[in-house]
Amino acid sequence: MKNFFRKVAFGLKPDEKISSDPLVWAQKQVETVPELNWKGKHIYSEKEMRKYWITQRVEENTTLRKKYKNDPKGFERAEKQLEYDTGGKYWPTNEICIRHAEGIRSDHPVLAKLWYFWTNHFTISKTQRLHQYSTGAYQREFIRANMDKTFETMVYEATVAWPMIMHLDNKDNIGPKSESARQEWRRKEKRPATLNENHARELMELHTISPKGGYTQEDVQELAKIMTGWRPKWTKKSDQGTDIRFMSDRHEPGKKTVLGKTYKNGRKSLKIAIKDLVNHPSCREFIATKLCRYLITDQPTKQMIAPIIKAWELSDGYLPEVHKAAIKVAFEYNDKYKKFQNPENWWIQTINMSGASYAYPIPEKKMDRFKLGFLVTQELKEPDWRLENIGYHPYKAKQPNGYSDLSTDWLSTELIIRRLMYAKEAFHQYKVK
Amino acid sequence: MKINRRDFLKTTAATSLFFAGFGLPSFASQNKKNLVVIMLEGGMDGLCAVPIRGDKNFKKLRSKINLKKTLKLTSDFDLHPALENFKACWDQNAASVFHATSIPYKGRSHFEGQDMMMSGGTVPYQEKTGWLGRGMNLAGLKGNGLAMSLPMPLLIRGVPLNNNYFPIRSSLPQKRLLNIIEEEFNQYSEKDLSETLSIIRNRDLNYFPGTNASTLALEAGKLLSDPNGPRVAVFKVENFDTHAAQGGENGAHADCLKEYDQILKALKASLGSTFKDTLILTLTEFGRTIKQNGGNGTEHGYGTAVLMAGGLIKKSKVHGDWPGLKNKELFQGRDLNATMDARSIYASAMSTVFDLDFKRIQKDVFFGDKLENLSDKLFKA
Repeated sequence: MKNFFRKVAFGLKPDEKISSDPLVWAQKQVETVPELNWKGKHIYSEKEMRKYWITQRVEENTTLRKKYKNDPKGFERAEKQLEYDTGGKYWPTNEICIRHAEGIRSDHPVLAKLWYFWTNHFTISKTQRLHQYSTGAYQREFIRANMDKTFETMVYEATVAWPMIMHLDNKDNIGPKSESARQEWRRKEKRPATLNENHARELMELHTISPKGGYTQEDVQELAKIMTGWRPKWTKKSDQGTDIRFMSDRHEPGKKTVLGKTYKNGRKSLKIAIKDLVNHPSCREFIATKLCRYLITDQPTKQMIAPIIKAWELSDGYLPEVHKAAIKVAFEYNDKYKKFQNPENWWIQTINMSGASYAYPIPEKKMDRFKLGFLVTQELKEPDWRLENIGYHPYKAKQPNGYSDLSTDWLSTELIIRRLMYAKEAFHQYKVK
Repeated sequence: MKINRRDFLKTTAATSLFFAGFGLPSFASQNKKNLVVIMLEGGMDGLCAVPIRGDKNFKKLRSKINLKKTLKLTSDFDLHPALENFKACWDQNAASVFHATSIPYKGRSHFEGQDMMMSGGTVPYQEKTGWLGRGMNLAGLKGNGLAMSLPMPLLIRGVPLNNNYFPIRSSLPQKRLLNIIEEEFNQYSEKDLSETLSIIRNRDLNYFPGTNASTLALEAGKLLSDPNGPRVAVFKVENFDTHAAQGGENGAHADCLKEYDQILKALKASLGSTFKDTLILTLTEFGRTIKQNGGNGTEHGYGTAVLMAGGLIKKSKVHGDWPGLKNKELFQGRDLNATMDARSIYASAMSTVFDLDFKRIQKDVFFGDKLENLSDKLFKA
């Protein structure tokens, strides 16, 4: 039975009692989304975090580059200071503490484990410095906060979230026949309006129906057309870090057809298209398979995914019901399968089960003491640095498809060596003194 | 490499016996052959590494990043001066170039491109294994891959028990504790884990050479030259994505090429006599635009070059069907075109090094896609 606690959560603490009904214990945790366990003062919304991102990007790319045009060393120094001023080295650890407190200290580790699953499903990979400022907040606000809603809601909110639009280039997805396409400046600056199908493709391939959904390149392009215009709003001065809006002047006019269904011109079509995608049979199957792969085994069977698909159909994709079904399957197959955990889940499990957990994550009062503009101490940098070194940094995935859920991908020599090394260090560093 | 079915069966039978633990001197009759792939991430500019000679249009389009000094390869092509060790191999008939080639990716995203250069597929993110891993699996080369990077690159996934080496300065738990861990693995029949642990326990952790490219290459060369060591090694050189300040003889792109050249140098030195049985190929997601941009860099392009070195090279030559650089000859009016699917080169290399029938590789590794067998043209049998 202990394996069940490891699979759907992070194992048991040395002094933790086993619940008399582990299945109910686990299922109850996913019914609602409680407040975060973390009580530190630096918890900001995605929009608030964008202010730091804007400062960093605008200063770095305009002011500093101009000022230190012929002085690369000076530029490097100024760039470093700017990073201190905007907390670029502090936020990732702060967010990791918030994230890991859910797994280790909260009374709903099962919800935490599923949260990590969804943050990887809707990955924001390491690009444009989003990992330093925005990804942590995005994962709280658009993923976790939607875990007691339908999958449809989660997809929609994640799709039009500012970090996602930035990360998948929908900012540059402009209708070639849109009003904006005809504007004079595009000719002058040689920036013609073109489709950027990146986000549309990932919305189908990674987020909803997967390649098994059988879409064609044409479907991708048509969905991209539906998505034209969804981007940071242009104010008079800039579109750096502004809220996502539907800008009708950049929207490709006319009807679009995706997977045989026709959508009208305009703002409302994206929501309808997402509704259709999440109701596609391939979507349920894809998500159910992924959940089983994450919780149970690399090779889920048809029998495993069937109850999850059924729960999905009965509840219209209501995530608590989908999660409960997945937990039940994990419970039933508990003794039959083994699952080698990914490095981050392994790390949390190690801390949790060793009882070192009382000193990790770094306590709130230490994190709160940090002031912008100052050097980030080694101790504060460690969680960030360590996750990267064990091969699983939740804000630094290299690609939009996130990290693998396959055990075999985590079984390499160097990754195992590091687990052994850091398990030892964790014991010495975080054990209760 | 032409090999009939009987020879093939002989080889596989011998290999499987070898791994069944019979310890057959399976490479006694024939030297063990090695394949090294160096991934050049960010988009290697084939026209910077191996520029065309005497093309006025090319010179004009790259006025700010032209090479003033070059090494001469042929009457048509020069070589970037940072590639001096490559040139030394060339002079010994142990290096060649395949120009105007690309993997079948025509988009301009690094991530999609890198995924496809490793997977060998034609749709980004579709394959969960790499072409090299599948090739090794086909050849029965279990436990023969070595990646000089932290995560196991997609490229060699698809065959069990690869090793990777990218050390950090830290220590393992005490021997006693490792024994306990090993016992646990055995008790729960975690075969993969205990085998991995035995690889780990054989590693000298007091010896920390660092992770710069040359030292990693020296280590790899040592292991590859061991008759019982790995047969495949994979490297990664990053930062070829020079959108700004690409530079000419010196600069960002030159630094990256130099890093490749240093790996080649270190490999050659540490492989020693086994260099003659080794093939060292580069792999990149795409080339770069012909025209320099406003920031004296280049944008993501299409066609590029594959650099090949090692004793299994047939002769020093710039291979390929040059598509020309006139406007109408360019890909989408901006890039060097590709006249050869780069996967033909990699399939041919695997056919040569792993002694596998080309058609089988084409079918089982590259999904039956149309590829050309270049083994006899490029490599020694």
